[in-house]
Amino acid sequence: MLAFLLRRLGSLVFVVWGVGFAAFFISQVVPADPAAAALGNNARPAQVAAYREKRGLDKPAWQQYLIYMKALVTGDLGRSLRTQRPILNDLRDFFPATFELTLAAMLFALALGIPAGILAAVQQDRPLDLGVRALALVGGATPVYWLAILMLQLFHAKLGWLPGPGRLDAYLLAPHRVTGILTLDAFLAQDWEVLVDALRHLLLPAVVLGAFSMALVARMVRSAMLETLSQDFVRTATAKGLPGRKVVMKHALRNAALPVLTVLGSLLGSLLTGAVLTETIFSWPGLGSYATASATALDFPAVMGVTLVAGLAYSLINLLVDVLYVVLDPRVSYV
Amino acid sequence: MRLKRIATLVVALIFALAAAFGAAQSARQTTLVIGGDWGDLLTIDPGVSYEFSGTVVIDNIYERLVKFEGADLSKIVPGLAESWEITPRDDGGNSITFHLRDAKFSTGRPVKASDVVFSFDRAIQIAGPGSFLFTDTAGMQVGSTVAVDDKTVRLDLPEGKNPTIVLNLLTFNIGGVMDQAEVEPHFQDGDYGQTWLNDNSAGSGPYKLERWDRSAQVVLVANPEYPDPGPITRVIMRYMQESNAQRTALESGEIDIAWDYTPEAFQAAAGNPDLKTYKTDTFQMTYLGMNSGEGAPFADNRVRDAVRYAVDQQGIIDSLLLGLGRRMQTIIPAGLMGADTTIYYERDVEKAKSLLAEAGATGLTVEFLVPTGACGGGIPCADLAAKIQSDLAEAGITANIKQTVSSELYTIYRAQAAQLVLAAWSPDYPDPDGNATSLASYAAKSIAWRNVWDNAEASELAGEAATTIDVDARKALYAKLTKLVATEGPYEMLYQPYKPVVTSAKVEGFERSAQGDVEFERISKLP
Repeated sequence: MLAFLLRRLGSLVFVVWGVGFAAFFISQVVPADPAAAALGNNARPAQVAAYREKRGLDKPAWQQYLIYMKALVTGDLGRSLRTQRPILNDLRDFFPATFELTLAAMLFALALGIPAGILAAVQQDRPLDLGVRALALVGGATPVYWLAILMLQLFHAKLGWLPGPGRLDAYLLAPHRVTGILTLDAFLAQDWEVLVDALRHLLLPAVVLGAFSMALVARMVRSAMLETLSQDFVRTATAKGLPGRKVVMKHALRNAALPVLTVLGSLLGSLLTGAVLTETIFSWPGLGSYATASATALDFPAVMGVTLVAGLAYSLINLLVDVLYVVLDPRVSYV
Repeated sequence: MRLKRIATLVVALIFALAAAFGAAQSARQTTLVIGGDWGDLLTIDPGVSYEFSGTVVIDNIYERLVKFEGADLSKIVPGLAESWEITPRDDGGNSITFHLRDAKFSTGRPVKASDVVFSFDRAIQIAGPGSFLFTDTAGMQVGSTVAVDDKTVRLDLPEGKNPTIVLNLLTFNIGGVMDQAEVEPHFQDGDYGQTWLNDNSAGSGPYKLERWDRSAQVVLVANPEYPDPGPITRVIMRYMQESNAQRTALESGEIDIAWDYTPEAFQAAAGNPDLKTYKTDTFQMTYLGMNSGEGAPFADNRVRDAVRYAVDQQGIIDSLLLGLGRRMQTIIPAGLMGADTTIYYERDVEKAKSLLAEAGATGLTVEFLVPTGACGGGIPCADLAAKIQSDLAEAGITANIKQTVSSELYTIYRAQAAQLVLAAWSPDYPDPDGNATSLASYAAKSIAWRNVWDNAEASELAGEAATTIDVDARKALYAKLTKLVATEGPYEMLYQPYKPVVTSAKVEGFERSAQGDVEFERISKLP
């Protein structure tokens, strides 16, 4: 197991390197000048030239790449052309917000998706199943931006039950930053007012972001459960007199969990990187909005940084899924 | 006995809660929350900042030597300098001598002439996006600003640089004065303290920076050293990219001011008694740039005239902007000295067709570069481009829209490689020269150059007006220039947008100048 982990961690370096390599050279073929973009509409040509020289943008691509890689090895991701800050600082500011949102969305998707899927499978073709299937269809087919605006209008503007965009009420002061994950920081600082408010702010965007995943999880769990429930060992378990609940929850679910787990890994990855629209509408200061702003400003070092983080997260999540396989399925082992 | 104790406790609790509630209420009344898309805010360093959002923040933190009073941009009034005089020198240049009033930075130190020298020289050394205002427009270099004594500072301008223009540009961000003793120790890796100044401030204005949470909020608090504070002690600028989100937040009372309303939302807000709507002025101009170089589609002025006759300006303002714009057809917009609001062209499709035929350009097909996102007045550029495309088609011009992100668009435009481009312009400081030189003088390598319009008379007029000090003489020169550019230039000016701002009805004293300043210390909130 340890050897497996080490091997996987080693290959991870190559995956991330490959992602970075691709991102770098794609950025080189974009027919626009990052210096001109950084200096704005009114900049004089002499200024643009000076800027290119200062940032090394006038050097050939391979030289720029070598300089970039050399710095990267020492943990330096460079400076953003747009915000003028070290990219590591930017990522440190923006990543925790996205992480928090993604995690909340995933929790929502699992907490609702798994029971819904199980219930639907057990009650196959009965009204409950039809209801879940309809909901899953709607959830999977609803565009995020539409759902987001609808939910905001209903729960925030009309009913006033939940707060609007942002992570925290404007009049509350965020606690001292430890992790950047606001709920966790508030908990650590024992600032209950902020914690409650942060959780309330988290609810709507998490539901919106998680809706699609929830629908997918419900459908996956349902079909996996249906397949397992029709197998011999389930019939045997029922035949030997085990109570129905135990058969479903212990025998069937554990076997049905494997295909679901596979989807979960890539779902979490796509949630992490796909939160752009949700973040925009909910004014969530996360990686998604940072990446969009950087890309449209042709801020290549920043785009590279985001790409590397996303690649790393994807790889780590996949590794985690593989490890979880072993825990869930005794037939799987990595020697 | 026990009952009595409980009763006492309950009463105490009620009082405590009431007190806490009262405190929270008064905090709300002295806190101003503004929701806006502050995505263009890249720096809070006055020596570097060059964005609209930066102006809103920086003008409240850093005082300039001179400023405009509120939204009135016709007259320069004292800022850090209580008086100044302009004296010609023997070498042909002029000097402006400023006498500083007694002022203190938020750090508690007094503002001295050496701080002005430090701030100006620093901006020149950083060579940020706005530094050309000092180096090109004012002809300044390190050493041009001299501390005569603690309270007197002299600016030496070379021959040919107009002191009036320089006074106007000193009102912009780059003229902000900072505390040398506070900033200098924070220089690191040759950044002149830029990194530090994005999370701290060292100005003498009514507010100081408390924190800038990137993409979340900018928080300003009242500067305790400011002599004339307003009722608002804390200003929170919250990032809200979506106009819809701003709308719901304003209606639910989460924010007091919404910065980016769409024309539709603005129209709806106008009928809501809980809200106040402001059509604030801007100096922006949305225009079509036409490549007039030899061999380019618009080399013949008759073809440019055809475009000017073909586009339905009033239709754009009525149907797309819903009134959030005004017509203009030349390069100095309403509100600036020398403004020319003459309507030179009324829509005339037949005339456009015959001009095209005369020029031998019937059936003209051009590539039409259009930025993504919103254009002046908050309307989608794509919608505006579609309207222009259909107007041109009526006259027989085929404009093939190519939509790209603005960074790519400007790369093409800057390389003189655009045929027809939808773009925007706004001056960096409220002086007509900011427009005239850029838009009329080929040698300035700015907009006239990008459209390959090399007109000797226009360049000469712009140059002469830039150095003329007498106001009436300047106005006369600009009158000639604006007419020339309107009828022969490479532009079809579309409109001058208004910036819509909506506030809660409880907000009083809000004003936004055409330059983008808002003086937070003049705002108050009703309970």
